[in-house]
Amino acid sequence: MNNNWAGTTYGNEWMHRWLIRLLRHIDTRVLYVFVAVFVVPICLMLNPSRGIIYRYFRQRIGYGRLKSAWKTYVNHCLFGQVVVDKFAMYAGKKFNIEIEGAEQFTELTKQKEGFVMLSAHIGNYEIAGYTLVSKVKRLNALVFAGEKASVMRNRSKMFAETNTNMIAIQPDMSHLFEIDKALTDGEIVSMSADRINGSPKFIEHDFLGASPAEHASDAESHGTKAKFPLGPFAIATARMVNVLAVNVMKSSLRGYKIYVTPLHYDKSAPRQEQIKQLSDAYVSELERLVRRYPTQWYNYFDFWGESLEQSDKRTKLSAESHRKHD
Amino acid sequence: MEQLIKDLKLQIKEALNLEELSLEDFDADAPLFGDEGIGLDSIDVLEIIVLLEKEYGIRLANPKEGKAIFKSVRTIAEYVQANRKK
Repeated sequence: MNNNWAGTTYGNEWMHRWLIRLLRHIDTRVLYVFVAVFVVPICLMLNPSRGIIYRYFRQRIGYGRLKSAWKTYVNHCLFGQVVVDKFAMYAGKKFNIEIEGAEQFTELTKQKEGFVMLSAHIGNYEIAGYTLVSKVKRLNALVFAGEKASVMRNRSKMFAETNTNMIAIQPDMSHLFEIDKALTDGEIVSMSADRINGSPKFIEHDFLGASPAEHASDAESHGTKAKFPLGPFAIATARMVNVLAVNVMKSSLRGYKIYVTPLHYDKSAPRQEQIKQLSDAYVSELERLVRRYPTQWYNYFDFWGESLEQSDKRTKLSAESHRKHD
Repeated sequence: MEQLIKDLKLQIKEALNLEELSLEDFDADAPLFGDEGIGLDSIDVLEIIVLLEKEYGIRLANPKEGKAIFKSVRTIAEYVQANRKK
């Protein structure tokens, strides 16, 4: 299965406009209920994401069958809420936001050099773009060029107030020149580092390789490697800039928590070693947050790129391991 | 020019870790990108941008120039010769 991802927001422009208009007048919780009762059950019936997320809970988080099935439903409901929240922001609604590690961001904005913020498709990263803002350093957010015009228009409107520029990933690679220029000009570049988008080059890491129960019992189940894009790590180390991991997790119906964590690497080490150290630090922080918020994992594709045969084998190993520990 | 092409081939080979590619097989006129040529991609472009800045003091900031400059080693060499600061 292909683990490249060409992500775009669901729905057409008319739907997006309608949603924003609606959210100006109603409480987001009304839409949460609508999504949970009507939208998610249909999605679960029609969409292959059901199996992908179920296997993620079974094989990566280590839940049993029933719990995995329930958490698959919860995961889709939360994803629906995150999409509603995104449009609620476009409609002018505010959320309670707590930041852990804000001083790390502030410290880097005071320095002359540019820096990189790496995110992932967990929680609701877009909130960070409207919250972590600097008057002195422009933030350049790398976005998917194929995103719907309505989303791009609304993002531009929101970002215009927050000293943020969007750089779209282009097939002619012009985005690379923009990223490089932004960093050498001392600006901030923000991008996700969990999906392979643009360059097919990747770096493999043992990520959520196996549940703790599996680790304890079976050496063979010590996870298959997951592929992460090489680009974000190559960009940061090419300019030897500082890097922050920034992830935004939904903490309550109206609240989000932003986690800002510095990712360290030895800038005097050989280039390949720098890339390895930086990607190690990123994956480790991602795993920490996914273990804390397992239901907010929104990579609805075969992230580990396993064959069906491997996947079945892992499911059996996981089941045996659970029986032994029960 | 021929010496500059040779230097660039060596520098690109080292920067991109192209161990399997011999300098003799590294055609100066072959397209750097796509299936027909060397098969480099966007991350490799970034490495070459940094290389040109470090070795020749050239800072490429105009995205419109990029496509023409990075067509082949020869086009890079022509650009370097005309714009080098080192």
